[in-house]
Amino acid sequence: MQKAPADTQTKKRPKVNEVNEFLEIASDFEDPLEVIREALSNSYDAGATSVEISIKSRPDGSEIIIEDNGKGMSQSDLESFFDLGNSTKTNPENDSIGYKGHGTKILYKSDRIVVNTARDGTNLRAVMDKPWEKLNNRVLPEYEVTESTTRQGNDGTLIKVSGFKSGQGFAPESLTYNKIEHYLKWKTLAGSTKHYFHPEEHDELEITVNLGDEIDDSRDKLVTNNRLEFPEPNPEPGDGPFPESEMCQHYGPKTLAVEAENGDTTELEIVGMVGGKEARDKLPTYGRHSAQFGIWLAKDHIKVERLNEAISHDNEFIHFLFVANSQDIELSANREKIRNKSSAIYQAIEEELNYFLSKVSADPWFKDYLEQRRIAELNRRASSQQNSVETRKQEISKRGGFCATNQSEVILGLERSNRLEGHTKITIEDFDLGSEINAIVEQEGRLYASSVHLQLTDHFTEDKPLENVDKLICWEVGDKDKLREIERKGYQKGDVEFDFENNEMAYENVTTRNIEIVVVSSRLK
Amino acid sequence: MPFSSPRTDIATFDIESTAGDARAGTLRIEDTSLQTPNLLPVVNLYAGGMDRSLYGGGIHRTMKEFMTGHDVIGGGDYSEFFDGIMTSVGSLTDYNISRERYEDYIAEPVKEREVFEDFNGTLFLDSGGFKFLGGYGLDGSNFEVEIDQEQVYEIQQQMGGDIIVNLDRPITRDDDYETRVQKARRTAENVVEFLDLSEGTSSARYLTLHGHNYSMLDTFLQEIDDVVGSKRAHNEFDGVALGSLVPMKDNKGALIDAVQDCRSVLQDWQFDDLPLHVLGISSSAIPLLAAVGADSFDSSSYLHSAINGKYNTSLIETKPLDDVDFNNCDCPVCSNEDLVRQMKGDTEYRKDELGPVAMHNLILQKREVAHIRECIHEPGSERFVEYIEESIGQNKGLRRFAHRVVNESLGGYF
Repeated sequence: MQKAPADTQTKKRPKVNEVNEFLEIASDFEDPLEVIREALSNSYDAGATSVEISIKSRPDGSEIIIEDNGKGMSQSDLESFFDLGNSTKTNPENDSIGYKGHGTKILYKSDRIVVNTARDGTNLRAVMDKPWEKLNNRVLPEYEVTESTTRQGNDGTLIKVSGFKSGQGFAPESLTYNKIEHYLKWKTLAGSTKHYFHPEEHDELEITVNLGDEIDDSRDKLVTNNRLEFPEPNPEPGDGPFPESEMCQHYGPKTLAVEAENGDTTELEIVGMVGGKEARDKLPTYGRHSAQFGIWLAKDHIKVERLNEAISHDNEFIHFLFVANSQDIELSANREKIRNKSSAIYQAIEEELNYFLSKVSADPWFKDYLEQRRIAELNRRASSQQNSVETRKQEISKRGGFCATNQSEVILGLERSNRLEGHTKITIEDFDLGSEINAIVEQEGRLYASSVHLQLTDHFTEDKPLENVDKLICWEVGDKDKLREIERKGYQKGDVEFDFENNEMAYENVTTRNIEIVVVSSRLK
Repeated sequence: MPFSSPRTDIATFDIESTAGDARAGTLRIEDTSLQTPNLLPVVNLYAGGMDRSLYGGGIHRTMKEFMTGHDVIGGGDYSEFFDGIMTSVGSLTDYNISRERYEDYIAEPVKEREVFEDFNGTLFLDSGGFKFLGGYGLDGSNFEVEIDQEQVYEIQQQMGGDIIVNLDRPITRDDDYETRVQKARRTAENVVEFLDLSEGTSSARYLTLHGHNYSMLDTFLQEIDDVVGSKRAHNEFDGVALGSLVPMKDNKGALIDAVQDCRSVLQDWQFDDLPLHVLGISSSAIPLLAAVGADSFDSSSYLHSAINGKYNTSLIETKPLDDVDFNNCDCPVCSNEDLVRQMKGDTEYRKDELGPVAMHNLILQKREVAHIRECIHEPGSERFVEYIEESIGQNKGLRRFAHRVVNESLGGYF
């Protein structure tokens, strides 16, 4: 009898295609401006007090230089800089902003990366050549590190990226100081709200951006800091047609304790403003307010995603700029999205934010602000009404006499004509604009079904029947050729004959019906 | 210049604390004392039965058993929840009684009946205007009683209420201006008669007011002033009862408007030192209306919820009886094993199942009102604002009303 072969067991280790991962992560960062965001976060984490970013457009791609006076990098920091998912800043609870080890990989989209960093008398120089080309050739790029000594007290890091494949984002026609300032304050730690809540932990960072003249020569450089600052409060309405425009009110900073149904807790740090257009324009808003204002959720006090649903639908989010920070929201690798939206704690944050903003929306100041807008709108309407009244008055003076321009005025004209000598009186007894036979008139004690139009032709254009019409009342007959065509072709399966001499028409459809035509303008002559 | 309290010798109303427009105080009438703001449960004292059944009434009877600490409900002292009750002349014949029984009901003052001798709260005797002036009188099984001011007062006097009101003509939302003025004039005529009839009474007299906004209330008071005379109206009334709000009970914005405007109009007519009772409104409206300055409320919502099998878990929320975990409540009803067993359906009569639920609902509402009083007694408005935020503010549908009263009556959030 043959023995069955023994079972074999092997342990398998999942493989990672390193090249593909690098390509993937670097490609995830779509906006080249994210280079700046990552640089700022790294400099801040390195304790820098100043960082200078310079961007120049070169034929073979952009050249980016980022220089800070932070504490510099150690060997392992440098490794983390180039490694994937190997950040030394692993604790999201501590003060550091980047901790996934993904951010700097955007720099791989370049021809050359040089890092020069000094720390405690040691200088490390790392060079990586053609990272993007190699990755695309399925080769993992390597970098060379040279260690040397340098004098103490000269700490800092300089990163130079050449031939950065920036796509359209860094192209001279799209990159401007305005765009960068807006990006800095809206998307990076330059728009941090931390100073409102933790002034003692907030380290000032001076941020300088230099763009090559070929990109934007409108100014020498842009200098800003790492604080989001709201325009000065201005609770009172101004003069002029838009009194609410410069009104501005601050809310917070307020720290709310949030508890989720499952017992998880977090702190929600909310600060914000409500303001009119001019007040909002005092912020670096180079774009549509609708895309910028509203309620922002933030992590590390840096805005991530808007949650405008937190404001009830009857209030326009555009008047609000609130930043609500929680360290318990989780971000996607590129920091553009919140990825724990289905968690209990996120739901609780949303609920708490909704409640806080319902209080803001109910604040008497905000109600007054809306009222100022409403009154201003009414005033503008009154003013436009006045203009319209003036124009109408001028037109009346010009035309030198009454002239009907709609059905109601035809009726008024008819009533006027009754006051003149030489006409039979025709008085309107009933008028219903929406009816096919819209008027009942009285003449010499008898009632007549009448169709009133500005022009006689209108009755036929509107395809109204003639069967029950006794009188057609109009300001003018209109285009006589049109009427002649109707005579020629017939109307609604009947024959029509106009007799303008005697102001009447005949309609023959089984029986013949004579209809009087009352031309009001001629009665007024 | 405002008149200083007391205006009559019968009642005194001392406002002890305020928080914004909210006020807390004590209303003393003869030997009764009622802390305000307060909720007066509607109790049908006479509901078809005889004295041995506490005059009957199904679930009402159970409430009276709680009120008197009857052995049937296992005894106990529930009197703190019956420091004031409301009953209406209009409810006397709700149970299709005979004339003989009707006459028995009104033969003796409530508090002098042996079965009610343990009740020592404030008894508010409503005139039942809302019921009679739709065209009905007291309609028993073999008799009818035409109701007019004189008749109502006679019944009130015989039943011996601590607070009585004139026979009024409630308005409806559909009434036009002329109709409202006419009703106000008829009410004013009743007021004259009521004051004449009740001269020398030992009951506190409340003037009924009807209107949904300042102008309506002002027009109403103008009629009272024209017919009754300003001096009389000011000197002879001990309180004001705002009516005609029940049809708007679900419209919190309209209720706030009405009570806020009522406070303003009373101030302008120099009645603002009088206690303001809001007729027929309770539950989630209590914190909102207390915040804008109402001093007392009455309602039977605690009963109606119970009758519909609803157990209050807060002023706003109820649970179907079957879903209730009675361990979550520490009220004396839910802490009593026998009563819990009854609420779970282990009882012969439905009233014995739902009666304790009604009592629980009432206790919950009374405790909330007591909490509101405590908040008003705290210095400043912060405590009351916190309470409003934690209660009404947490309900999305009511949130905007919470914000409104905080902003308009309690000093705002920011």
